[in-house]
Amino acid sequence: MKKIINDPENFVDEFVEGILLAHPDLVKTPGDDPRVLVRADAPVKGHVGIVTGGGSGHLPLFKGYVGQGLCSGVAIGNVFSSPSSEQIFQATKAVDGGAGVLYLYGNYGGDVFNFDLSVDLAELEDIDTKTVLGRDDVASQPKERKLDRRGVAGILFAFKAAGAAAERGDSLDQVAAIAEDVVEHTATIGIGLAPTILPTTGKPSFELPDGEMEIGIGIHGEPGTKRGALESADEIAEHLSSALIEDLGLSKGSRVAVLVNGMGATPLEELYVLYRKTHQVLAEQGIDIVKNYVGEYATSLEMAGASISILDLNDDRLELLNAPAESPFFREG
Amino acid sequence: MESKELNDHIRRSLTILIESADELRDLDQALGDGDLGITISAGSKAVIEALEELPDDTAPTEIARTCAKAFANANPSTMAALVAGALLSGSRTWEGESTIGVAEAARFTRAAADSIAQRGKTQVGDKTILDGISAASDALESVTDPGEALEATKSAAEKAVQETTSLQSRRGRASWLQERSIGLADPGATAFQRFVEAWAAAGVAKN
Repeated sequence: MKKIINDPENFVDEFVEGILLAHPDLVKTPGDDPRVLVRADAPVKGHVGIVTGGGSGHLPLFKGYVGQGLCSGVAIGNVFSSPSSEQIFQATKAVDGGAGVLYLYGNYGGDVFNFDLSVDLAELEDIDTKTVLGRDDVASQPKERKLDRRGVAGILFAFKAAGAAAERGDSLDQVAAIAEDVVEHTATIGIGLAPTILPTTGKPSFELPDGEMEIGIGIHGEPGTKRGALESADEIAEHLSSALIEDLGLSKGSRVAVLVNGMGATPLEELYVLYRKTHQVLAEQGIDIVKNYVGEYATSLEMAGASISILDLNDDRLELLNAPAESPFFREG
Repeated sequence: MESKELNDHIRRSLTILIESADELRDLDQALGDGDLGITISAGSKAVIEALEELPDDTAPTEIARTCAKAFANANPSTMAALVAGALLSGSRTWEGESTIGVAEAARFTRAAADSIAQRGKTQVGDKTILDGISAASDALESVTDPGEALEATKSAAEKAVQETTSLQSRRGRASWLQERSIGLADPGATAFQRFVEAWAAAGVAKN
């Protein structure tokens, strides 16, 4: 497998260095650890900070959503590995403007372990923290176990809404409640057509014969919850959007934001073919797509495939989605 | 003991504990990455320095919190964060207390053990520092006389380490060794045993 890399061991440090060189006006590294990035004007005095974090290999997730109106800082792990508690703690100190810090990240064991350790470290510095976990992947657990679901692309909505709330000066309790509310109303499901190849191993994460697809994939190159025959774009859009409509309990008159996300190797054209049918399915049911996002928002290195996320909107959530934001990979307004 | 005595006693204990750093490093190299030695030595030195700065009448809860903060920042690692979180939990049980006796030590140790179990997602028998702290906690809850308490805690911590030797590591880097971890004492539990011994020796040294 061919990759544009140097020593695989330096892959993460080198792409982070590239981001810093490309966007010095938007992000900075606050200390001597290159695995911690914060927005260029951090800490913003009197405002709640938002720290996210997770493994690398998901760009624009997680480090791409650090900026004005989004997350304030990120702790960066190796490819598909959690950052350490000390990196999370460093990010926390660097973004604390005196109003507390929200930990907002995907529901994965390693990340929960290290973020929870950092909760204690922050308390020792008299920094209040609250934690909200992204858990939008409907394929990962049935609805009755939704608190155990893993976090995938739909966490973008929580970043956007919580970031907007922090930017306008909401309290830590308010920002956390908004993040939780958005997570509660977000659902995602994805399919995979080709595996991921880790830079360090050079091996595909699974084998998938021609004519088949993985259904219910995550964002770590893992196989889905089941394997099926490859379907047409319209069939995929119908099946995925129906699962989300059911999970969120959407009906005629619902207003939603839709995110059609590429996993890394799927062309934008194919994503728009998916969006087309998704839009039609929702429109047929009288569901109004008020906002849409089509592109790469949470990838799994060069995995081929896509996911669809839906956020059930109300006026408050819509206002927060529409608020201005700017990061190296995301802009609104 | 009251504030000044507690502060002095912790500093004397940690000065003694630092002498075990090389042993802990070697034990940890066999099962993990070997940074336990520096975690203990750098952490202990940082705590001693931080405690020297505190006024004599600093409340016990604040003394414990100062220990946690200094230990966490000295040589950051998962172990340092776990110990800091445990000390923080313990410090909360001392709020409003001016004198620390066996009952207070028992509450502190139980809260510390609960914190390690919760934060470390671990339980007794996983071959971690929790095995030692939990055994010490049981021992402290079963006695009231200070002299007896110290002896009971020492033997509980020592016995816990002996018991970890026959166990397989289930948490942290050591768990990657799987069956190969059997036969070796757990470095974290050993560090706790050395701390309890240092605490006892610090009392003897003073008398």
